[in-house]
Amino acid sequence: MVRSNSRLAAAFAATAALTLVLSGCGGSDEKTSSATDKPTGTATLWARDNEKAFINLLAEQYNKTHDGKVQVTIVPSANFVQKFGTAAAQGSGPDIASIDLVYLPYFASKGVLDDLSPVLDSLTWKDGLSPAHKKLAIYDGKTYALPFTAEASVTFYNKDLFKKAGLDPAKPPANYDEMLADARAIRKLGGDYYGFTMAGQCGGCNVFEFAPHVWASGGQVLSDDGKTAHLDSQEVTDALTFYRQMQTEGLMPPTAKTDNGTVQSTAFQSGKVGMVNLGAFFVGNLVKDKKIDFGVTPIVGKTGGTASFAGGDEIAVTKTAKNKSVAYDFVKWSTSEEAQTILANNAIVPVRTDLIDKIYAPLDPRYKALGDAMSTGQTPYSVVENAIINDNNGSWATMINQGVFGTGDIKGVQATAQKAAQAIIDKG
Amino acid sequence: MTDTTSRAAASTSRAPAPKPVRGPWLTNRRRRLLTGLALVTPALAVVTVFFIVPLIMTFWMSLHDWPLLGEHRFIGLDNYRRAFKDSEWLHAIRFTLEYTLIITPVLLIVALALAFLVHRGGRAARVFQSVFFLPVVIGFAAAAYLWLYLAQPGLGPLSDLAAKLGIAGRDTNWFATATSGLLLVCLMVVWKVAGMQMVLLLSGLQSIPVEVNEAALIDGAGPWKTFRYVTVPLLRPTLALVLVFSVAGSLLAFDQFYIMTSGGPSNGTITAVYQIYRTSFINFELGYGAALSAMLMVVLAAVSALQMLLLRKTDN
Repeated sequence: MVRSNSRLAAAFAATAALTLVLSGCGGSDEKTSSATDKPTGTATLWARDNEKAFINLLAEQYNKTHDGKVQVTIVPSANFVQKFGTAAAQGSGPDIASIDLVYLPYFASKGVLDDLSPVLDSLTWKDGLSPAHKKLAIYDGKTYALPFTAEASVTFYNKDLFKKAGLDPAKPPANYDEMLADARAIRKLGGDYYGFTMAGQCGGCNVFEFAPHVWASGGQVLSDDGKTAHLDSQEVTDALTFYRQMQTEGLMPPTAKTDNGTVQSTAFQSGKVGMVNLGAFFVGNLVKDKKIDFGVTPIVGKTGGTASFAGGDEIAVTKTAKNKSVAYDFVKWSTSEEAQTILANNAIVPVRTDLIDKIYAPLDPRYKALGDAMSTGQTPYSVVENAIINDNNGSWATMINQGVFGTGDIKGVQATAQKAAQAIIDKG
Repeated sequence: MTDTTSRAAASTSRAPAPKPVRGPWLTNRRRRLLTGLALVTPALAVVTVFFIVPLIMTFWMSLHDWPLLGEHRFIGLDNYRRAFKDSEWLHAIRFTLEYTLIITPVLLIVALALAFLVHRGGRAARVFQSVFFLPVVIGFAAAAYLWLYLAQPGLGPLSDLAAKLGIAGRDTNWFATATSGLLLVCLMVVWKVAGMQMVLLLSGLQSIPVEVNEAALIDGAGPWKTFRYVTVPLLRPTLALVLVFSVAGSLLAFDQFYIMTSGGPSNGTITAVYQIYRTSFINFELGYGAALSAMLMVVLAAVSALQMLLLRKTDN
């Protein structure tokens, strides 16, 4: 018995040793470069798959005109935070990362990004960069990323349906009452025509599409420092009540309740939905489609006022970057007029507010509204954004789903969400 | 006598000790042992690297406050204490058990019916066997997406079918309530998994000697009595296997709910694994997620052990 046990132990020891040997095989002795070296060699860049259309064009242009080279890796959007986070934790991440700006406070707070304050200060166009992007990149007084691509949320409306319903297509809604009246008029067309649609089961979509109603009405979702949730505010109650009214009157299609963000755009593209809140990317889709005569207008508040979510990506250099010289050079170049023009030509809102009228607005009459919306847009600042807002089963998404599509007391739903969100913030 | 004995003893003690006869080192016994060890080592290495080490790491992590990024700190059993008071986790466990209780008997009955159908033999049976088995080769995620499309209000053929049968309107959203969402997921799972269980049960049916059934018939047993007192007892080992697979699979359900219902509406269809995913990869609480995984593993092991025990007892 003793002998067989010792044999077993020996076998385990051998296996463990083999494991250690194998795990030790991944070592690397690659050359590294500092930020001040001459930018040569190759730097790696991770971007989300929804950036595929333009990120390779940018890299190609940079590689053509610079000594340094950038190699792009596309990561699925849904897993970007997890993949980048895990890689950064192991020190195996890329040199450069294009990160959704809402996650910047989280990654900056965890110390995985380089301090880019000197790079930002060195840019002559620093003041023209999107203010929301600049704000989100700051943690503890330091800037950890540069603005890269912008996105803004607006209300898209189908001018053909407006005309059909006897509404004036030149006069989009300016407050909740007008929006409700327009939605009712379109629903009266009967059949499967609906006034408005939304993604009722999508946290990320609704901070982009629903939160601007709250901001336009003078409210907040989170405090400026991200340390207090305001999900139980009156402005949130008003916005939820407004949407529930549309829901109970049957002005939204049945898909809205369970839409996780994949149906709302196709519903509008079908020509059967009067209005939807979406972003600049959708202009490109509709223009390409050529099926609908549409207009864009700012997202409205309860009695007037407008607001937008300033979204998009920031570009950062990781702390463990091996080729920092090229990484710094590329992030700086990515905010230049040359790079931002490539973005504008690919239906991306530039982050340079000083260039909107020159390189973006002339491309389509509707881009002007999007550029303006981005310049004044807001973005909630939180180091726990993913847990509170972007989680489709989190407190924000659940509050909206139950507030709009439930039958219970809206204030009660808000109170539950507020408690859950504040608990996550307090835990940090 | 005494003298002779003592002399003999003395001569024995003086004589040099005989050299032990050393045979070859690699005896048959050793050879067998080494061969055995060599054959087991790859499996042992795989089990160690992919099961034992992660298992120990999971338990170790579960004793820590372990964020995705940043320092982790030892907190003892706090994560486990938290889990017992976590209403979201307890709801997820309850929902998972409900789902398991619904899907297990349904799957078994359908699979058994299909197995009897194709057991009759013949060309048609072979065709049906392939048809029933076909969904098994599709991945769970792909099958879930397929059914998500089939059930799209106003778009998928299920909406059309429901409208033609007068069950519901063409634009009914099947995922609008947790109950109808669960029903649709169950339908998809039966379609996807029943074929696999059918094959297992069919092999069990085929191993029952024809003579036993004939003897039962001669003794005057009808089809139900033959099934109840002959087929089921002889099929018990296969049934046990199918049940353990089915229950374990259901307790670990994730893909189908993640894709088809997104855990909604109002978080009504979040399973235990879904909650572990949220905790670890959305809230980035890897330590707490590890504790939930360890708890689920204990539940899974307990349920499987209980099943085996009960089935063995009944067998005895």
